[in-house]
Amino acid sequence: MQRRQLAPGVFLTTLDAEKFNRCRIAIHLRYPARRESATDAAVLALVLERGYAGCPDMTALSRRLAALYGADLGVDLGSAGTDRILSADICGIKEQFALAGEHLADAYADIVFGTIFDPYLVDGVFDAEAVAIEKQTMQRRFAAEFNDKRLYCVHQARRRFYGDSPAGIELNGYPERLDAVTPESLKAEYDRILAAASIDVMVQGADAGRVADRLLEKLSAIHRAPAPVSEPLCIPATPVQHFSEEIPGLTQAKLCMLFTRGTTEDLPSIHLLRMAMGIYGGSATSRLFRNVREKQSLCYYCGSSAVRSTGVMVVDSGVEPGLEEKAEAAIRRELENLCREPVSAEELEQCRLGILSSMDAVGDSLGALESWYYSAILRGDDLITPEQGKALTRAVTAEQVQQLLQSYHLSVCYAVTAGKEAAPC
Amino acid sequence: MLTIQEKAAAAVNCRRAVLDSGLTVLCRTMPDYSTVHAMFATAFGSTTRDFVWNGRPVHLPAGTAHFLEHKMFESEQGDAFEQFARTGASANAFTSWDYTCYLFSATDRIDENLDILLDMVNHPWFTRETIAKEQGIIGQEIKMYDDSPDWRLTTEALRCLYATDPVREDIAGTVESIATLTPELLYTCTDAFYRPGNMVLTVAGNITLEQAVEACRRAGLDRPQKPCSITMPLQVENGPIPRRQTQLAMPVNRPCFALAYREQPIAHGDVRRATLCDIVTELVCGGLTDLYRKLYDEGLVNPEFSGDCLATRTACAVLFTGESLQPRLVADLLRQEIARLRREGVDPRLFTLVKNEMYGELLAVLEGVENAATQLTGAWLKGCTLEDQITTLAALTPADADEALQTMLLPENEAYVQIDPVPGAPEAGE
Repeated sequence: MQRRQLAPGVFLTTLDAEKFNRCRIAIHLRYPARRESATDAAVLALVLERGYAGCPDMTALSRRLAALYGADLGVDLGSAGTDRILSADICGIKEQFALAGEHLADAYADIVFGTIFDPYLVDGVFDAEAVAIEKQTMQRRFAAEFNDKRLYCVHQARRRFYGDSPAGIELNGYPERLDAVTPESLKAEYDRILAAASIDVMVQGADAGRVADRLLEKLSAIHRAPAPVSEPLCIPATPVQHFSEEIPGLTQAKLCMLFTRGTTEDLPSIHLLRMAMGIYGGSATSRLFRNVREKQSLCYYCGSSAVRSTGVMVVDSGVEPGLEEKAEAAIRRELENLCREPVSAEELEQCRLGILSSMDAVGDSLGALESWYYSAILRGDDLITPEQGKALTRAVTAEQVQQLLQSYHLSVCYAVTAGKEAAPC
Repeated sequence: MLTIQEKAAAAVNCRRAVLDSGLTVLCRTMPDYSTVHAMFATAFGSTTRDFVWNGRPVHLPAGTAHFLEHKMFESEQGDAFEQFARTGASANAFTSWDYTCYLFSATDRIDENLDILLDMVNHPWFTRETIAKEQGIIGQEIKMYDDSPDWRLTTEALRCLYATDPVREDIAGTVESIATLTPELLYTCTDAFYRPGNMVLTVAGNITLEQAVEACRRAGLDRPQKPCSITMPLQVENGPIPRRQTQLAMPVNRPCFALAYREQPIAHGDVRRATLCDIVTELVCGGLTDLYRKLYDEGLVNPEFSGDCLATRTACAVLFTGESLQPRLVADLLRQEIARLRREGVDPRLFTLVKNEMYGELLAVLEGVENAATQLTGAWLKGCTLEDQITTLAALTPADADEALQTMLLPENEAYVQIDPVPGAPEAGE
């Protein structure tokens, strides 16, 4: 692994990919989220994925990728605390597998950088037809949330939990703001992102020097003033609020519980956080899986996950209708038990083994390797290898896990079940 | 110059052994990898409902194979998940229409993990009490799928296309059907279908064939088995489609639809026809086609709209599924495109692009231990190899697709399913 700075706020990281059949180039632009332009940013990602100045037509681009032996191009919008990450990545077979000796890596770089730096513009703004089409796609995406009740329940709980906090700015933006998205507003958001973003390019299995040259050439035409990355932001602990929404025709109830640490002080290491989640509800050997699902048969799924920078822990579950309260009590009881006394050495080691094993596996996938290093960049951590990460994971103690779990307070409990409207209860 | 067969063999790099017991062992050694992914699969899925076992007819309630999958993790000594947890492995299992698969991924103590996997599947243990406990968990799983519009579309489409074929039943069965299961019936299933000759062990990653075979030997899976007799009916449904359309309501906020076609079953090992089914589906409405572009740009479908081919021993169906505010219009456009392709033939340039894409996907699959093991297992269960799939793909021509279209996706074999929002669900766009 090698990371070097190419320009202010611009870094290039090279990762070994010798054993893979494919190579991968990814570019990430990290910038501060804004509620007023969140919907523009979400539509922007869709419009950028349709094509770029060198290949403006969506179908022509799909066919170009197919001709490159089915190369995958993706444009995504993600989040890191109150920042957003606009990413484009391309993954395709290495040149030695090309049937006609094509220079595939150069073609990949041209496409992925073209997508970010050379968008297809008409009279200086995004193509009106493409914007109109992708606004429809976004409209469908808003609507689709309701069809996946598990996700819907988590989103509804999240909305109650974050309220107006910047940490709660919706990744997909807001349906009521979609009408205000125009080719001009999209271009303004694009310009803001390009100017303010800290940029990381991750190269695996392609010539990093050639990639860097192409990147610098693109950047030379842009005036940039990268913004500092946002500070962690936690939601303060409050008394528990319960919400219940009834949906006619639903067969299985969903229950989502959101906990907060309430402070940004003493952020836990990612290794400690993984261990705590593994013990509580993040694995098939966790307390939630073993006790709430397997022993009590209360839920078909019941798991926990946590975000370090916002101090939030999510427990979501699929519950037999009518048993929501019982499931909530059981989920809380498992946390209370873990807070009361540290886990046994055997339970801790079982959990640790699973996490160490998953860290061993990081090197077996291009995507997992890239994610390992870019996640560390996002956290502002030192770039350590998975092997070094294993040493830090081995050092986590039962007492540290207990202390971390003690710092979570239940704030919001949201249930989706069969019948009336959402109301605080 | 290497032939396409030699290139395919080099790319797949899979070694195999067939033990005296009849068990097939497949191994793709990936030396620089840390992980090993192992899959132990039996050709016994949800559609195996009737068979004659040593002269005795047996009828299984819907959901038996899936129920069995859940129960195999338990033994008198405890839960296999716990044993895997002690080695740091991640274990799981799944059931499809045609097979059941048990698997683990691990980076350490591989021999020990193989022993747990093989022992767990080889030594079933069922009691009335443990069966009763599992009925609650599976009941929850059935309800979770009942809430999934995608899954309901698939099952409803299959119910339209087939009057009696077991593919029309949900893989997990119903709360009522699994309530009738007994330990005796489950033991009959393991005796009949969890025999080595009906199974495959596939490993991929940092492991050798010799290591996998040795694990089988330790588990006693290398020894010749007592002869047994098992026959299964091969009843293929022909004649008119039992139900041409169906419409139901669910808590969704825009209609979902499926345009489904019943096809002739794909014979075991007929890799050419299986590949053609996939290619033809892509040529009708895949992401590279003009039709997909029109539907997407006009906002008539969601981006996930696609066509898929699903096949079992006795059934085969092509399903085009998606969400739309004008589902019947989309169905009409699909019908028109199928008719046009049948009349005018496929675009040779598009055909080549689809082939290129599928070739790239096959290479990509071989790069990951889990995907490699999954594809190798899947190919074996279909009676072919990954090498066969690559060489068959390379040999296909537009004329083959044109010929296939004369007997596929026929109007008389079509059914239509629509899911409408229930009253009270938020409207699309709200």
